[in-house]
Amino acid sequence: MRVRFWGVRGSIPVPGPQTNRYGGNTSCVEVRPKGATPIIIDAGTGIRKLGKLFMQSEFGDGRGVAHLLISHTHWDHIQGLPFFSPLYQQGNELHLFARQRNDMHLRAIFESQTEDPYFPVPMSTLKADIRFHELVEGQRFDIGRAKITCTRLNHPWIAMAYRIDVDGAAMVYASDTAPFTDILLEQEFIREPPILGEPIDPAKLAKLEVMRSGLVHLCRGADLLIYDTQFTQKEYCSRPHWGHSTPDDAIAIAREAGVATLALYHHAQWRSDDQQDEILHDYRAKTIGEPFELIAAHEGMELILGDDD
Amino acid sequence: MRITFWGVRGSIPAPGPETNRYGGNTSCVSIRTRTDELIIIDMGTGLMHLGNKLVKGEFGRGQGVATVLLSHCHWDHIQGFPFFPVVFIPGNRFNVYGNAKSSSMLEGILEGQMNPHFSPIYTLKNLGATIDFHAVEHGEPFEASGVRIRARPNPHGVTTALAFRVEEAGKSFVYASDVGYPDSGPSAEMLELYRGADLLLHDCTYTIDDQMTRRNRGFSSYADAASVAVTAQAKHLIMFHYDQDYSDDKVDALRDECRKELDRLGGESIGLTAAAEGTSIDL
Repeated sequence: MRVRFWGVRGSIPVPGPQTNRYGGNTSCVEVRPKGATPIIIDAGTGIRKLGKLFMQSEFGDGRGVAHLLISHTHWDHIQGLPFFSPLYQQGNELHLFARQRNDMHLRAIFESQTEDPYFPVPMSTLKADIRFHELVEGQRFDIGRAKITCTRLNHPWIAMAYRIDVDGAAMVYASDTAPFTDILLEQEFIREPPILGEPIDPAKLAKLEVMRSGLVHLCRGADLLIYDTQFTQKEYCSRPHWGHSTPDDAIAIAREAGVATLALYHHAQWRSDDQQDEILHDYRAKTIGEPFELIAAHEGMELILGDDD
Repeated sequence: MRITFWGVRGSIPAPGPETNRYGGNTSCVSIRTRTDELIIIDMGTGLMHLGNKLVKGEFGRGQGVATVLLSHCHWDHIQGFPFFPVVFIPGNRFNVYGNAKSSSMLEGILEGQMNPHFSPIYTLKNLGATIDFHAVEHGEPFEASGVRIRARPNPHGVTTALAFRVEEAGKSFVYASDVGYPDSGPSAEMLELYRGADLLLHDCTYTIDDQMTRRNRGFSSYADAASVAVTAQAKHLIMFHYDQDYSDDKVDALRDECRKELDRLGGESIGLTAAAEGTSIDL
């Protein structure tokens, strides 16, 4: 399979010369199993250019089928969807997967994104056939030959990590998540960050441990792990309640799960290309001798895992 | 007054080397009045970068006051709001003026943006600053940040977008982004709002050809903007809200064509600027 990055930025798109190399578009990754229809993970602004490319193939003739796995519905993971050109072409099919909510249908959440007065074209009027698939963590399903599994992450409201096994290889997408040691982020706004290192309620701690071991299990032996590493350690300490990790957290998971390549991802909006280079350089030095390769995802980066055309 | 451009792009932010010169951030313009009061027009992603500057001054200490004028609430005009750092600082005050049937409906629209499905902020109540919402009365002048402002709605596809006229000490700045006129052109009321503006910032999303094939989207071509500037006898036209797919070179070409169109229509004396992120114009 081929994995291609279309958006690697966290929180908000950041155009400008300082992001030319890594890219300023928000989260979007394309996974292309050998000879099969594409699987897209997240629909940040990066999906716009992917959609334009798709329109040059069968999607342009209204014969395209794509599967979209959504980690969660925060803006930076869905804001590109209304600009995904294949949706405006009759005959195309998009299967959208995301974790279910108790309070609202997935379809209603996505439709509210394009309602008046926020967007001029309501999703319900789009010509493509959009089908919603509501998931729960632990669920297993197939997309063609690809086996998909998912687990819950530690992020406000909800977020899911996905694993795709196909063509004799496996990749995992784990974004957005906070580390699993300090606080549990579920359904409440946390105005005052908790004091790091203070004792945590044992019930919460147990839940965090279950969540973390679920993620390690999901990542076990993967060829590629894409991980939310938005923060430096210093940034994390002032924003532990934002629901993002540091490279140290990702490295610990990668080591435990025995992955082959770890990709830093969901770069902070304030991070310049030079700063991101420096982070990669520093952590490469720190991980000499580790059994995995450390890379930093950038727009346009393409990785080939297992068998490929 | 000093007008500064923080985001000049339409519809969706467009990062990449091809937009480095004009900028890829969505709509946001600031006005500093003669008495150093702050007016912000639209809250696209450019707002974050304005906020990063403001945080170094009184807004960083929770002593800032600003007027916010919202043309309409399509995403590209509000998506910078949750990333405006000074809105989290208690003590800062924002008066938001927008196009809604009532002030509470305007608040509800921005509340919807913070909905926990979409944002970790959950609700406007979690923003530290004090925010007051005001539904604008079309055509009725009001005072804000010590200057006189008037607003009227322009047709914008299936909806409308407010155009604003801001006047201070006999000088006038008009902001008219996101407008697609009918074949008959702008209404007499809109032309009256634009009339004689020292600076007319106008929607310039498209080339003539692109505008022809996308008329239902409710945007202007450079030729529409030139025609309006000439008819309204504006002194200077500012091009704004470029299509997300237009590279810097294409915007250069758009500006050259717009100059020719102004001259062709008898507007040789009308100045022309293609708005670029990070630049300012003093009036």
